Amino acid sequence: MKPKARRWASAQVLALVGLLLFLTPLSGQEEPRQWERRTAATKPPLTVFHSTQAINLPTAETLAQGEWQFEIAHRFQPAISEGADSFWGLDGPVNMRLGLGYAPLERLLVTLGRSNFMDNWDLQAKARLLELEAGPLPVLVALQGGAAWSSEVPERDSGDPGNFQYYGQLIVNTEIADRLALGFVPSYLYNVLLDRMDPVQDLYWGFYGQLFLTDIFSVNAEWSLGENRAELGHDAGAFGLELETGGHFFKVFVTNSVRLNPSQYLVGTDHAFEPDEWRLGFAITRLLHF
Amino acid sequence: MSGRGFPGIRPVALVVASLAASGPASDVAGQEYQVDLGQENRVRFVSDAPLEDFEGVTHRIDGFLFLSGEGLGGETDLATSEFFFEVDLASLDTGIGLRNRHMRNNYLETEEFPFTSFAGRVTSLEGDGPGSYRIVTRGTLAIHGIEREREIQCTAVSREARLRVRCAFQVTLSDHDVPIPKLMFMKIDEVMELDLDFFLSRTSGERERGSSLPEPEWRKD
Repeated sequence: MKPKARRWASAQVLALVGLLLFLTPLSGQEEPRQWERRTAATKPPLTVFHSTQAINLPTAETLAQGEWQFEIAHRFQPAISEGADSFWGLDGPVNMRLGLGYAPLERLLVTLGRSNFMDNWDLQAKARLLELEAGPLPVLVALQGGAAWSSEVPERDSGDPGNFQYYGQLIVNTEIADRLALGFVPSYLYNVLLDRMDPVQDLYWGFYGQLFLTDIFSVNAEWSLGENRAELGHDAGAFGLELETGGHFFKVFVTNSVRLNPSQYLVGTDHAFEPDEWRLGFAITRLLHF
Repeated sequence: MSGRGFPGIRPVALVVASLAASGPASDVAGQEYQVDLGQENRVRFVSDAPLEDFEGVTHRIDGFLFLSGEGLGGETDLATSEFFFEVDLASLDTGIGLRNRHMRNNYLETEEFPFTSFAGRVTSLEGDGPGSYRIVTRGTLAIHGIEREREIQCTAVSREARLRVRCAFQVTLSDHDVPIPKLMFMKIDEVMELDLDFFLSRTSGERERGSSLPEPEWRKD
């Protein structure tokens, strides 16, 4: 090879080396790119109480959108203290409620219920309004409103305007240490006493709590406080056990009230909250998805 | 000239070789496919229960397939290929909200372990008709914070710049320290059937990359 050609070949190689020296540090410094997640993990809705109601009073819990809930509940009229003669109250008679709930939207639950006590029909809607997780205590706030129609009031036509009642309930729930759930439910009821000619309205203060002993067992208690109990002279209270499975709640409790629908239990009870006056009650709910 | 060669070549070749060796050893060119989040991806688990089958579904799967070399239909270096997917467990829907919550809180503990993931290599890639491939992958399946070495078999069907991947495998819950769920006090089968059906889209162009398999989050702590 001639010297000129050799110099030309060397110059080409040196240019190539220069190019590599320029490029290589860039690629050498580049960290291997690691795959990065593009979407955050799903954040489930905040939950305090697991069931949509404590014993009688509502919780802020609703259902998943498109879900149905069937419920059946009994209040045995004889007191447990009547003993074996009435099979501790289980012989009955009983007041019962059937209900069917549906969630047309996430955080909105509509329920139609019927109690055989005065043939009371009850249509209600509950909406979760606020979910706060900031701070040590989670807070859930919901609003429930409903209308009730008692179609079998003595000495009245079934369609009499005086047979209708309306109510609203503000529901505030919180939880302590993942185990103790607490609820406060101020309630307003229009047309408190169906036997009055002039409608009366009143306010009530509901309190309840639930202690979760295991993943499926818990104990619960509630109290509905009224200030002006003219005829039904006692506040309604209850306490009992709750068992939850994948789609059911089973609640068994003792109570001094045999009224089931909201417009009925809010007004109070004839029976004092004393052991001799305690009655048995239960409620079963089943979640359905079609 | 013979016997002497190009006098300047030898040192230059050494420099070039050393420069090449100084880069990341695992950098390879190839084809990368990412899960197409806009498609109807689906992950489903099914378990035999005494009264009825128990199943859950989610659409939230993400991940990628990287094939070094020419990729599908060409020369591929399987030793440096990568396959990764992760599933957002809190999004699993069994059809009943309460059951979802039990699954999240009592069994999968999704607050602590929000994702399940598989990270591995492609060990076999065979054609199975026009545009269809059988893929065998081997790697680490992480569920509930417990990792197990697993082989997962998938099929892939190529259409335009997209791959539809279907994988099926079983998971034994006790392998991952997951309590066996009960329905109405009756335990369901602890072996879950998992079906993955998702779409991958080719990312733009070939590029250099090193190992990109992510670590499970609990291992990073």
